[in-house]
Amino acid sequence: MPHIVRSTILDAPPAAVWNVLRDFNGFDRWHPAAAASSIERAQPADKIGCVRRFKLRDGSELREQLLGLSDLEQTFSYCLLDTPIPIFNYVAHVRLLPVTDGNRTFWHWESRFTTRPEDRNSISEMISEQIFQAGFDAIRQHLKEAA
Amino acid sequence: MARVYVSTVVNARNDRVWARVRDFNGMPNWHPAIAESRIEGGEPSDKIGCIRDFRLRNGDRIRERLLGLSDYDMFCTYAILESPMGVENYVATLRLTPVTDGDHTFLEWTAEFDCAPEREAELVDNIGSGVFQGGFDALKRAFGG
Repeated sequence: MPHIVRSTILDAPPAAVWNVLRDFNGFDRWHPAAAASSIERAQPADKIGCVRRFKLRDGSELREQLLGLSDLEQTFSYCLLDTPIPIFNYVAHVRLLPVTDGNRTFWHWESRFTTRPEDRNSISEMISEQIFQAGFDAIRQHLKEAA
Repeated sequence: MARVYVSTVVNARNDRVWARVRDFNGMPNWHPAIAESRIEGGEPSDKIGCIRDFRLRNGDRIRERLLGLSDYDMFCTYAILESPMGVENYVATLRLTPVTDGDHTFLEWTAEFDCAPEREAELVDNIGSGVFQGGFDALKRAFGG
């Protein structure tokens, strides 16, 4: 089972980063892969079990469900329900930790999934670079513009 | 129960930082407050349960037991057996996590302990800003930032 782990350091306090990340319906405001986002059944975006529907830049759609979220730990977990590409059993975890030496933030993002053997490398690369690393770079820019 | 949490980022890969801090008997090699250290009973310093007896530059003596050590998860957990600090049930963990975006390492050093209520703020500050941050500052210097 592929396991993708990426992490970065942001020059912003954890509360500022968490304020952006905790909105399960807000990824389209900062992540370059997401063109539009909505929560099904008009549920609140911090209701555990809610489902977000993404429209991606290429027009395809995917659905993800919020499995857990903690304002105390500054973590959340979600899984994929439907995607246009062959990824199965996809569960991802986001975790923020304070860097007390400088009031910065450590951001840890990981996921596990299964796929067809022939797709393993290309999908791992896509998640690692176009979702996780691109997300880090986008948040960095987003926080700079908000400041 | 009092808690201390201090964290930093060192500009070196986690395997290099781990090589410097994993030796439970090696604190004099990297921490400026520690003058000398030995493991009791001639045991290896990575044997879980071994006890280090070390002396600080200020003359204080502390004995600590190794509770857990993992080269895979890169953490070290230990408890104070004897110290002049006036703490009870003191358990601390030093943990390293790779920062994949650049070859950096995220370090966390945490402690939990009981003490007299009027001494808590002073102890938390001494341990956090003094001992832990002092070690982090030395590591950052050793690895150039």
